[in-house]
Amino acid sequence: MRSSISSFKKRLRLPRLFFRTPSLEEQIHGGPPLEFERPIPPAPWRGVAVVVTIIAVAATAAWELYCRSLGYGPTLNDNEDLWVMARRKVQPDSIVITGDSRAWFDLDLGEMEAGLGKRPIQLAMAGSTAWPVLADLAKDENFHGTVICSFVPHLFFAPPGSPPMERAEKGIKRLHNQTPAQRVSEYLTMPLEEHVAFLKPDDLSLEGLLNELPIPNRPGALVSPHFPPYFQTEDRERRARMWDKCAEPGSELAKKIQQIWLPLFKPPPPPTYIPKEVFAAEIGKGIKKRFADVQSAVETIRSRGGKIVFLRLPHSGGLKELEDHDTPRARTWDPLLKSTGAPGIYYSDFPELAGFDCPEWSHLSAGDSVEFTRRLMPHLRTVLGM
Amino acid sequence: MLFNSLTFVVFFAVVVTLYWSLRSWPVRKNLLVLASYVFYGAWNPPFAVLLFSTTAMDFWLGHQIGKAEDQRARRRWLVASVCMNLSMLGFFKYGNFLLENFQWLVGRIGIVYQPPHLDILLPVGISFYTFHSLSYTLDIYRGVLQPTKSLRDFILAVSFFPQLVAGPIVRAGDFLPQLVHPPRLKGNQFLWGLALMTVGLFEKVVLADTLLSGPADRIFGYGGPLVALDSWAGVLAFAGQIFFDFAGYSLCAIGAALTLGFHLKDNFRFPYAAIGFSDFWRRWHISLSTFLRDYLYIPLGGNQVRPFRAALNLIIVMFLGGLWHGAAWTFVVWGLLHGSYLVIERVCRVCFEDKPWASAPSVRVLAWFATYVAVCIAWVFFRANDFTVATRMLGGMFGGHAHGDAILSTRELLQIGAVTAGVITMHWAMRENTFETAVMRMPPWAITAIGAVMACAIIFTQGNSNAFIYFQF
Repeated sequence: MRSSISSFKKRLRLPRLFFRTPSLEEQIHGGPPLEFERPIPPAPWRGVAVVVTIIAVAATAAWELYCRSLGYGPTLNDNEDLWVMARRKVQPDSIVITGDSRAWFDLDLGEMEAGLGKRPIQLAMAGSTAWPVLADLAKDENFHGTVICSFVPHLFFAPPGSPPMERAEKGIKRLHNQTPAQRVSEYLTMPLEEHVAFLKPDDLSLEGLLNELPIPNRPGALVSPHFPPYFQTEDRERRARMWDKCAEPGSELAKKIQQIWLPLFKPPPPPTYIPKEVFAAEIGKGIKKRFADVQSAVETIRSRGGKIVFLRLPHSGGLKELEDHDTPRARTWDPLLKSTGAPGIYYSDFPELAGFDCPEWSHLSAGDSVEFTRRLMPHLRTVLGM
Repeated sequence: MLFNSLTFVVFFAVVVTLYWSLRSWPVRKNLLVLASYVFYGAWNPPFAVLLFSTTAMDFWLGHQIGKAEDQRARRRWLVASVCMNLSMLGFFKYGNFLLENFQWLVGRIGIVYQPPHLDILLPVGISFYTFHSLSYTLDIYRGVLQPTKSLRDFILAVSFFPQLVAGPIVRAGDFLPQLVHPPRLKGNQFLWGLALMTVGLFEKVVLADTLLSGPADRIFGYGGPLVALDSWAGVLAFAGQIFFDFAGYSLCAIGAALTLGFHLKDNFRFPYAAIGFSDFWRRWHISLSTFLRDYLYIPLGGNQVRPFRAALNLIIVMFLGGLWHGAAWTFVVWGLLHGSYLVIERVCRVCFEDKPWASAPSVRVLAWFATYVAVCIAWVFFRANDFTVATRMLGGMFGGHAHGDAILSTRELLQIGAVTAGVITMHWAMRENTFETAVMRMPPWAITAIGAVMACAIIFTQGNSNAFIYFQF
């Protein structure tokens, strides 16, 4: 009787992999197992190790001192793991802040706790759109709390694939896919960041420093605009506070950041490879879809007994002019409230909220953010029916 | 757990300290098994169960092959092992790919079939540990390895944490003998291990992630046509990134193993100085190319068959090598391109090897240049997410988009140029050497200076925690 293996072999014409003895060449390579030992280059390794360690420690200490002399201080870096840590604290009835960096800078958690009776959880992300977080909260069937959502039209309507969208989606993705190692890493990193000033990946890392090299670009090169340098601190609750150096009147840093905001808040030029009218139509369609999606998410949260309120937070100077011109209230804020039926607070509608000046045109100073939040609370309580 | 993360630094310090402070060899091996499973479970704990299951199955199957006296029984057990390993790999890695292609295929004959999308998470490093484990039963069957009696030793051979998730592919036959006698702590060996880890981390964190990954990602992620300069810059950036990423990981793995007293073989040998494609594959991902050579190419007949069959063998091996990297046709094309390169090279050798001009320096330089360019062209398919991107990139590289966009800053172009020139020069300088001999020739002050620069650069780069590219394979 023929064996099943041999007919298997014949039918599939399997290679001789399973059916032949190894050649001499194979035997030399694969076995019998040879003792293999890596060569160790002769060098005074102990001495080298000691000197390298001394140089590395000394250079690190010198770099730390230099960074501190420039005014940098130890603070946490805002990253997905820190955001996930905050997101995991959300309870079914929590008060949650979502949206962009204005909510991150301008809302003081202590004042909000005093005003609303519960300490909110800060989920706003710098340079991000609120939509992915809203969608995630709407999907969370246990959540029936309160959402306070900051609204900056340029960010709120950011299309899929754009940096604001990607930033928010990264956080959500990390929430659902965070590995135990990433979780542990954040716990290990936090104490370091709280004590070491030079740990600022965006500014003081090798990449950040290379970014600052004043090398002119080719004419016509579509190079992304720069992002603002470090100008805030952040604590474990993700409360951001503007760096004093930026908040000083006439601060050079603030002036520099003002000029960085302007290109960042202008709509990007249409891609050269898509006809302008097609691109404009796509953008229009995307905005319509965003209105519809947000409306649906708001309805879902409300259907579970949750509440949502939109906030338009202070901005000033040239940035306010730009936003008012490119994204006027009548085309953005008003339709948003109308389509969602959610309440909203537009800071300039209330004299006590309108008088704040943003040093770098987009965010309040740490001191002003406390006062602003205190003044905001009665309005918030009213619209939330508290 | 990434080598370039603080978690790993703490984990490694604890493991190394405990390992060398324990006296009993079995206890030390138990510690390494535990550490390896913690290391692997730190990605996704349930996958540690999968790792254990395949390992235990292969251990048992290895025993069955070893004790079977009848050749047919030995084959049966080997087929069981191969099927078990490949079906595991097939399900987790190629499940959706196969379903999508089946859908496409039946669609061609008019059948509308909507397969369910299997929400399968790819266990990290499955392609690597499957090969670690498979090498054991294959070598027992071939009669070049005796089955080990210790399940613990075999578990450690498959899951040893430095090489577990992204290679080098360490064959059980190379690792198991090292578990017989306890290694002694040797100061120089330990420090050389740390030095290799520093070089590996420098390659990964500074060169791959900081200087090259950003431009490469932007170029390959751009939706429109690009001018030739940016297209080539993107491809060169990726060519450098993938080398430093993977070679960096391999060096870290070799260094980490060495600090624990284990010796792993080189996985890279200055591949961008390769003259010809067979030379390239003797220098690039050596553990995979030798695995494919020994367990696939030679059993297929290797080059001891008629020329046409030998060429076909090369194509088959590289096709499977491409597919091993990922479940996408772009990887297949990458593999087939390399297969074709190898065939063309063989034909050229037959035709021109005896010509006196064939070994002239200018011809060698030309051959190197052709090899490097062809390897870079193949990288386009390796990196591109789909054929639309690959075609667009090739169009840009060969002047098809004269009015395309320029999206890289001058600084990025300079970075890519400097790193590419640096890596090629370095590989040429070390072409006939090993890393160890190069270090041996350096004066101690130069070793110290280079070590200090690398250590400082890693610290100042602040441990960008990008995952290693090869984790996805």
